Amino acid sequence: MPTTTSSAPWPISPAMPPVLEICDLRVSYVAGPEVLKGISFAVGADEFVAIIGSSGAGKSTLIRCVNRLVEPSHGRVLFNGRDMLRLDSGDLRRERRNIGMIFQQFNLIERMSVIDNVLTGRLGHTGTLRSLFRMFRREDIERAVRLLDRFGLAEHIDKRADQLSGGQRQRVGIARALIQNPGLLLVDEPTSSLDPKISREVMALIRDAAREFAIPVLCNIHDVALALEFGTRVIGLQGGRVMFDAPAAEVDQIVLNRIYNMEVL
Amino acid sequence: MSAIVAALPGPVPYRPSLRKGLQPYAVVLALLVFVAWSLDYLDIDLERLPGLLGRLADVLSQRYFPPDLEHIRRPDYLAAVGETFQMSYAATVVGMLIAVPLAWFASFNLSPHRRLLYPAARLIIAGCRSVHEMIWTILIVEILGFGMLPGTVAMTLFCIGFSGKLFTEAVEAIQPGQVEAIRATGANALQVFVFAALPQVRVAWTGIAIYSWDVVFRASTVVGFFGAGGMGAFLRESVQRVDSHRVAAILLSIIAIVFVAELISAWVRDRMLRAVA
Repeated sequence: MPTTTSSAPWPISPAMPPVLEICDLRVSYVAGPEVLKGISFAVGADEFVAIIGSSGAGKSTLIRCVNRLVEPSHGRVLFNGRDMLRLDSGDLRRERRNIGMIFQQFNLIERMSVIDNVLTGRLGHTGTLRSLFRMFRREDIERAVRLLDRFGLAEHIDKRADQLSGGQRQRVGIARALIQNPGLLLVDEPTSSLDPKISREVMALIRDAAREFAIPVLCNIHDVALALEFGTRVIGLQGGRVMFDAPAAEVDQIVLNRIYNMEVL
Repeated sequence: MSAIVAALPGPVPYRPSLRKGLQPYAVVLALLVFVAWSLDYLDIDLERLPGLLGRLADVLSQRYFPPDLEHIRRPDYLAAVGETFQMSYAATVVGMLIAVPLAWFASFNLSPHRRLLYPAARLIIAGCRSVHEMIWTILIVEILGFGMLPGTVAMTLFCIGFSGKLFTEAVEAIQPGQVEAIRATGANALQVFVFAALPQVRVAWTGIAIYSWDVVFRASTVVGFFGAGGMGAFLRESVQRVDSHRVAAILLSIIAIVFVAELISAWVRDRMLRAVA
């Protein structure tokens, strides 16, 4: 067994505190072993962190702990200095508005129009009564249209989400996350339902948007080549622990073989 | 024979189990044995069955034939038919206005409050269901007296239990991914329900709503028998007078009207489902 590197001494300048700081995060589901066994790392404002690891390593659970779609059993998740795990339900909702999320299965509302899907990203900022009648704010609608136009979906605005192709749907999913004006993007296997060509396009889209709006990204991805190409830093998970944590340029075949137990290539 | 795969070096690590293969058949056999035992215990004489159809025909032809069709064309009876329709319609609409929020509270995946609202809503729906609709009718006639009101109230309770349970089951069967996505945007519980659940259950709920009216209407045709107004009141009167020709006519009219109601609901359902799909 290789040694576990817990919180890596990642260089973060004192002037720029980390956007996200995870300390000794543990998760156990009822009547089972721990899924995460003490994860610690920090994400700086300009990072694109790719999390790799085989199925069952805990990648999905890890990013869901950040916005508490999964409730951790122990640890701290500091987002801009606030511990997400100590928020009551109202504060949690307010904090979730600042964290965008992109999913493997896109998770669009299939029977709703493309633009309404994007506008659901503004629900946290839209009053309940307004949202019941889908009376989204004018400026939100304008931004949704601009985002869709930019992603080449202008002529699909009124179509139902289930009429789009996989790549188009994921772009709607990205627009939904971006319209939140997030301070952090959580991305869960964004390319697993897509073919290789579309996968690279989608990854480039996420990276470019993150750069342009200066959003740090935490991205699960089992495709190592994509992780190395698009990530600025790679964290390897295995069995619920961080096996390595290094800038993408320093990840070599030996490290990869270690994390995938020689299964890569 | 050319082998596609090489033979295993050692013993085969899998052996088919006759015990597991027989299991489903054993369950069916056990059920049938229980039926046989029940028939024996209840002392049911199956030899009387073959004559049943013949005797039924005798009773129908001698006692109930001809049906007094004049009776069911009287204006007061036709008015009662209209009242029965109105009772079932009002009870279904009011029942659903109550059942929809209850279904939201009672769905474990989306309930806004799992410790309080969830069990409370479950209890109300289960309570409505655990009392048979005719028992509800009898109870409420006791409290409110005769008339259309107790019938409508009883049918409303029936509708809450019936549609509430089906609505809840539909919500609990939705895809969790869409719920995650809406929740992750910072939406509140009602927004999650409206945006993640309603689009997914729209078709199922429409079907359930129309089916519920269908079932409520069928029940409404007899609540009058217990004093709660509508067509059933005429049935009771004729039964008490042992006026078999009238009873026959009323039963025929109920069968015909329920049949027509089912045709209507099937048609409406078809149209609605196409509209919301």
